[in-house]
Amino acid sequence: MIPLLSAILATLVVGTVLTFFAGARARWVALATTLAFIAEVGFLFLAYPGWPGYSSSLVPGFADSESYSWISLAWMHVNYTVGVDGISLVLILLTAVLQLATVVYSWEETKRPAAYFGLVLLTCLGCFGVFIALDVLLFFLFWEAVLVPMFFLIGFWGGPQRRYAALKFFVYTHVASIVMLVGLLALVFYSGAASFDFSALYASARGLTGVIQSFLFLALFFGFGVKFPIVPFHTWLPDAHVEAPTGGSVLLAGLLLKLGGYGLIRWAVELLPNGLHTMQPVLYVVAFVSIVWGSVLSLSQRDMKRLIAYSSINHMGIVLLAIALDSSLGLMAAVLLMFAHGIVSALLFMTAGSVHHTFGTRDIPAIGGITPTTPTLSTLVMVGSLASLGLPALISFPAEFAALLATWDTLAYWVFVPLGILVVTAAFYLWMMQRMLFGPARGIPSTAHDVPWYEGAGMAILVAFTILFGVLPGLLVNVIMSSPIRGFPGT
Amino acid sequence: MDLSTFAGPFLPEILLLAGTLLIFLLDVLGVRRIEVTGGVAVGVTALALLFVVADLGFGPLAALATIPAGHIDAAVAPGATPLYSFSSLGFVFQGIFLLAALLVGLASMSRPSHERGAPIFYGLLLLATLGMLLVSVASDLIFLLLAIEITSISTYILVGYTRRDVRSLEAAMKFYIIGALSTTLSFFGASLLFGAYGTTNLYALRAVTGAGGYPILVLLGYGFLIAGLAFKATLVPFHAWAVDVYDGAPTDVTAFLTGGSKKVGIFAFFLVFLGPVLFVAPGAGASPFSSGAIDLGPVVQITLAILAVVTMTVGNILALLQREMKRMLAYSSISQAGYMLIGITIGTSPALAGATLQMFAHVFMKTGAFLVVAGVAALGVGPLIDDWKGVGVRRPLVGLAFGLMLLSLAGVPLTLGFVSKFVLFSAAVQAQGYFVWLAIAGLLNSALSVFYYARVLKVMFFDRAEPSSLPAGAVVGGSDPPALPAGGLGYGRAAAIALAAVVIVALGVYPQPVLGAIQSAAQHFVNVGA
Repeated sequence: MIPLLSAILATLVVGTVLTFFAGARARWVALATTLAFIAEVGFLFLAYPGWPGYSSSLVPGFADSESYSWISLAWMHVNYTVGVDGISLVLILLTAVLQLATVVYSWEETKRPAAYFGLVLLTCLGCFGVFIALDVLLFFLFWEAVLVPMFFLIGFWGGPQRRYAALKFFVYTHVASIVMLVGLLALVFYSGAASFDFSALYASARGLTGVIQSFLFLALFFGFGVKFPIVPFHTWLPDAHVEAPTGGSVLLAGLLLKLGGYGLIRWAVELLPNGLHTMQPVLYVVAFVSIVWGSVLSLSQRDMKRLIAYSSINHMGIVLLAIALDSSLGLMAAVLLMFAHGIVSALLFMTAGSVHHTFGTRDIPAIGGITPTTPTLSTLVMVGSLASLGLPALISFPAEFAALLATWDTLAYWVFVPLGILVVTAAFYLWMMQRMLFGPARGIPSTAHDVPWYEGAGMAILVAFTILFGVLPGLLVNVIMSSPIRGFPGT
Repeated sequence: MDLSTFAGPFLPEILLLAGTLLIFLLDVLGVRRIEVTGGVAVGVTALALLFVVADLGFGPLAALATIPAGHIDAAVAPGATPLYSFSSLGFVFQGIFLLAALLVGLASMSRPSHERGAPIFYGLLLLATLGMLLVSVASDLIFLLLAIEITSISTYILVGYTRRDVRSLEAAMKFYIIGALSTTLSFFGASLLFGAYGTTNLYALRAVTGAGGYPILVLLGYGFLIAGLAFKATLVPFHAWAVDVYDGAPTDVTAFLTGGSKKVGIFAFFLVFLGPVLFVAPGAGASPFSSGAIDLGPVVQITLAILAVVTMTVGNILALLQREMKRMLAYSSISQAGYMLIGITIGTSPALAGATLQMFAHVFMKTGAFLVVAGVAALGVGPLIDDWKGVGVRRPLVGLAFGLMLLSLAGVPLTLGFVSKFVLFSAAVQAQGYFVWLAIAGLLNSALSVFYYARVLKVMFFDRAEPSSLPAGAVVGGSDPPALPAGGLGYGRAAAIALAAVVIVALGVYPQPVLGAIQSAAQHFVNVGA
């Protein structure tokens, strides 16, 4: 059998290195790498064995798994182990789509293009690695590998406050990584597995006592939660988003936030069921606070990017809530919602970037009635906003619907908290559209023109996926549900 | 004991001694060219290294092994009081010391051919290394302290060997006075232990420690011993001399001091505290803390834990504040000693393996870094970190190697420095209990250290050189930053730096060969001690 995952990883590594050294031709190298990546991911999807209910021999429950010994001591076994299940497969698809959209959208980047495209590819490479790693050390390496390129993307190509934002991003997420690493090491050694392999941990960690599981869960929850981001550790996110270049914001919102959710599911929820059970009230409180707080703050934002950033906190709060429910429907909804938010928030950040290019400002009250001048951009803003507020037939709807259904199943009337907040979400998006897109024209510079082809193409890719999976969410649901965890049919 | 059984095991030491004598003899005969003396020194060191690696059981070199198989890590009969004994961990350390000497010796061959003092430098380098090799096999306090003295006296002179530079003479004097003080403290500690137990043999001490006697004498004895050795290992608060000496000494000598002689102190800690006191091994069965009349274990353990955390933190914070490259590296070297001490504090074989790997890595990253500093200084770059503006762009290969060493010091993944920290902190968590806090303290410290290493990288690669900071004689013109003055680092130095950089990456990606050997050596060491 072809070691498909390693092949993809090698493609990305080679492509990234070549991009860094390609000079003026960097964008072509980046595009070629991305297309190869997408082709391989497509093959991965088609070859995904048995769709519901398969089993694989090497690492139970994971397809395309590979394992090679890396460090082997009497008390510690580290392997290069990779594999995918439905959850990681969906997020890998998200990585590929966003990488393509970002590369196309940034086609005319003029400031050190080789470094820019190289860092974009490196970020996606790290995310891909996180989604396939089934070994604690490997996972941590990729996790940290994401941090560095994003730090440079914000710090080099960002807005006026970029240095502050980059440093804040780095410090917050790095401290969280350290706590997460200690949590993972403790998981390895307290469980007595002495192996860093996911399957070994799966066999041993679940037998830990409730108290230890709770402590470990809390450490991991903090480590992953800062990436989510959860209130009160969310303040790095608006700064980072606002200052980052558009491509950076897209990857930040679309991919990096998903790392937190994925990590929580893969390394905390699956390995520490009792810990989750004990800590459920904490997670509920954090989730509800994040949902309400993110949404309320969005209402008061003037900066378009900042508004989208706070609405991300709100959406990721719903993801956290769905994970915390500890039900198979909730987990499915969480993954679907992560995919949906990845596509939609990326689209919205791209529109915000285009608004900035076109009108020289992202201040919502400063511009109005832009639709006649820039019809394409205006349409894209509308699609993004409507998708984000959960219009049926667009991708967020099935995901949010499933999340609310799962909440009702477990928490009954508490469902009215996220449901009520959905109204607020709808309100601030509609209000933004009303102020910016419609009404009498104001604040439009004479040089304003509609989006250039490459920005439009980048966003069109995302719109296509928004509609495709909005109409046919079952495609993704089937893949997710094939993962043999949490009472999914695949078990 | 007939000569052949003595000569075999000590072949590396004999080689070094012969090399020293040959160099001094050639000096008397008027042969002082650095190519000759340096060649002798490097050749002898490499040969000795070959024998040591063979003794460690490295397959392809098995024919060169000088010690019969059963004599390494052999159990010592009860009541026996050998002066020296062979442990595989000792050989690992011999390897570390020889590697440091080899790198420094190789690099120094690039200095001007007729430079004064080459025979003194190389002769003393070999003599100091000889002392270190003897430390690695000691099993008696007096033998240990005398071996340390051989190293110390050689290095006092090495620091001041140029004789013209006032700063290095001052450093040598400071080094000498502090060194004498620390030797006195150590010997005083040993004599107190002798007073309490009637022996200075480590095996005999192990048998009787905790078994009664005079608690005050024993506590004081170990206290003085810790203080004396802490000076050698540059632990805070016994570190104040180190920065001035590292800064004032000729940079190649600094590279040797930080790569070699500082680790003598750490290994002495291994011998003294993982042998007799045995606060070792939570989870090893019986209570780790001796149950006799004197409960030494917890006292020593907490002392070492505090020393470790304070050393890491103070070293890092002071390194953050430095503006001179050498001083920054010197403080970072102090903080690294704190990481190594974590391993001793925990005392399990995984932790010991982690600390040993950290020291192995330290040879390549810190000695290598000082060798780069010496080479770049010879090209006319000033002592401040800001003087390094643009060095990475104008000298990409040097920049790459130095960058790798700094990244490794910072513990960035896929470098040897990451692997060693990873193993060390894993071992701390593996030991469970309050050792997890040592891991957290270490991790936070390495996060802190990233900042000052990253700053150097930024200066080196991103900041453009201003005309005023350029070395004299550089041609200013055009829009490109002017190149450094012509002239390379020299083949020897380039080879040493390249070797260090390649090892950092190669073992960072696949550490198993070295790590496996170190782990099994540490396992034996702890078992013999138990």
